[in-house]
Amino acid sequence: MKAINWRKAATSVILAGVVSLLFHRCGPGEQPEPDDPYAFQAPDHFPAPTYTFRNNPVSEEGFLLGKALFYDASLSRDGSISCNSCHQQALAFADNPAHPTSIGVDNQRGSRNAPALANLAFYPEFFWDGGVNHLDFVPINAIESPIEMDESLAEVVARLNANARYRDRFREAFGIETITAPYLLQALSQFMLLMVSDQSPYDDYLRGEGEGLTELELQGMALFEDHCGGCHAGPLQTDFSYRNNGLDSVMLDLGRGRITEHPADEGKFRVPSLRNVALTAPYMHNARFATLEAVLQHYASGIRPSATLDPEFLSPEGAPKPMALTAAEQQAIVAFLHTLTDRDFTTNPLFRHEND
Amino acid sequence: MKFHFGMAALLGVASLVACDVEETPQAGTFRLYFDNRVGEDEVTLREAGSQEYDYTTADGQQFNLSTFRYYLGKVILTGPDGAYFEDEIKVSAEGTEGYYLVNEADPSTHTILLEDVPAGNYNAVQFIIGVDESAVTEGAAGGILDPAAGAWFWNWNSGYIAFGLEGNALNSGQEYVDWGGGITTPAGTISYHIGGWKDVAENENFVNNIQTVSLDFGTTVAAGDDLTPMVHMVVDALKVLNNTQVNFETTYVVHSPRAGKPFADNLPAMFTIQHVHQSTGSEGH
Repeated sequence: MKAINWRKAATSVILAGVVSLLFHRCGPGEQPEPDDPYAFQAPDHFPAPTYTFRNNPVSEEGFLLGKALFYDASLSRDGSISCNSCHQQALAFADNPAHPTSIGVDNQRGSRNAPALANLAFYPEFFWDGGVNHLDFVPINAIESPIEMDESLAEVVARLNANARYRDRFREAFGIETITAPYLLQALSQFMLLMVSDQSPYDDYLRGEGEGLTELELQGMALFEDHCGGCHAGPLQTDFSYRNNGLDSVMLDLGRGRITEHPADEGKFRVPSLRNVALTAPYMHNARFATLEAVLQHYASGIRPSATLDPEFLSPEGAPKPMALTAAEQQAIVAFLHTLTDRDFTTNPLFRHEND
Repeated sequence: MKFHFGMAALLGVASLVACDVEETPQAGTFRLYFDNRVGEDEVTLREAGSQEYDYTTADGQQFNLSTFRYYLGKVILTGPDGAYFEDEIKVSAEGTEGYYLVNEADPSTHTILLEDVPAGNYNAVQFIIGVDESAVTEGAAGGILDPAAGAWFWNWNSGYIAFGLEGNALNSGQEYVDWGGGITTPAGTISYHIGGWKDVAENENFVNNIQTVSLDFGTTVAAGDDLTPMVHMVVDALKVLNNTQVNFETTYVVHSPRAGKPFADNLPAMFTIQHVHQSTGSEGH
């Protein structure tokens, strides 16, 4: 073994210390402190984030401002609806099952089920039809939709500028004297970007931590990977494609077809992530199924034919091809889906509403 | 596009430090002037819903305009001897540089000032009509791309409306609509919102309506310190209506990418070089 040159080693340690002092909290490129709750950190087993953090790095002030805005009903026309109205933390930021499709101002009913919010930093597109390409642009839809919050972005910005507390908070978060819409959207993004759900029993299993999964859950996972994993692929259980899973033969909602204006996309909707899916009933864009059991039954026996039905559900003769799943196998898959529930996420005080 | 004195000072210091390098000619400014027209006529913007018709299409349909606006970006100037200028693009919440909104209702937007154009002779300009993926994929943007400050943005299919033409037509099929909440559409309106930039999502079904305009000056014009060259372009709205052969009776509202494609394909033809100035006397002439 080679003798250690202690003087050289000591010099290296001191140098490293000086260098790390020099670079401590010195700006972009710096690794976040591991315990900093306001630092975005992508789990090792997740895909690469898609969000443009270079334009909008998450800060404590920006995140907390985003949280205040998320819970603030004064972003709506009549002060009745906040983001939180349809996105509740205890339900993994999905809507209450009593609202199968979302309820907006004047108790107007929307046409789609409000999706759960988690791991949005990894999404390439947003909404059931993927019409929105960037997280920053998502809240404009809820704010300006006449059946959701029904307020113009310009009016919301004017309202915020009239509020001294918000002016202070935007100044602290972004160094601006006058609040503008892009900063409002960036603050909301900062709050949503930290909604990373990676502490479910399934994540523990992937990391080789915790108690492991039960026999039934493992059996369900194997069946899930066989039968569902082609589309519900990867650690987020989605390949982010748009598919027609045979809900309807007549399309009342064109879904992806409304975005591309192409007949081949009519009736297609995003393959949703199944993170926290046991908490986010009802299911499908139109809230068709009240339970996970009903969803599995649909795939096993309820597929309806249409021109854009996904090839996964077609026999060689072109007829609907249900999944060959026994009742027991369906139960095993449901048991596996429950392992995607992340109670740390749904109870994390970081996201909880505070009166401040 | 603001001139950065700090940067200039730095450059000055740098050039002092490196002063044995031979002096290169100073960069200058370059103006692009967009002279909106309808055929031969100057544009008169009427109140929305007005039934005074100023213009006639090639097939005899009478109409007027209340709105005429478009985004431009990614300006490139080139010259016969290799002179080259590419406008810098910066898109952030703070503001937007390298994209421009030309709005007929606001004369201050009719001239685009390009700065730090390297000294040299130029004989061609190129730009895109619309706001392409370079900007839309950056997220929320300020300035002319702020939807709360006048940007035209599609919420449901995120992206900016590249080109907007609104008015009234004698034969428009549009009937009066009361949308509730005080929002109405007057009878007889025409409304063409042309946008769509997505062909990046591995889906061949998307329509990308971003168009590139390339124009030759037919002569050269010099840029450099103390020079104030300007290109005077005519932008003729009648060309897009005539070339698209739009029938106002049946096609009176267009506000989605695929429906807008026939119009988008005819947008570049609107732009022609009228003349170039070596020095700018008064703007626009």
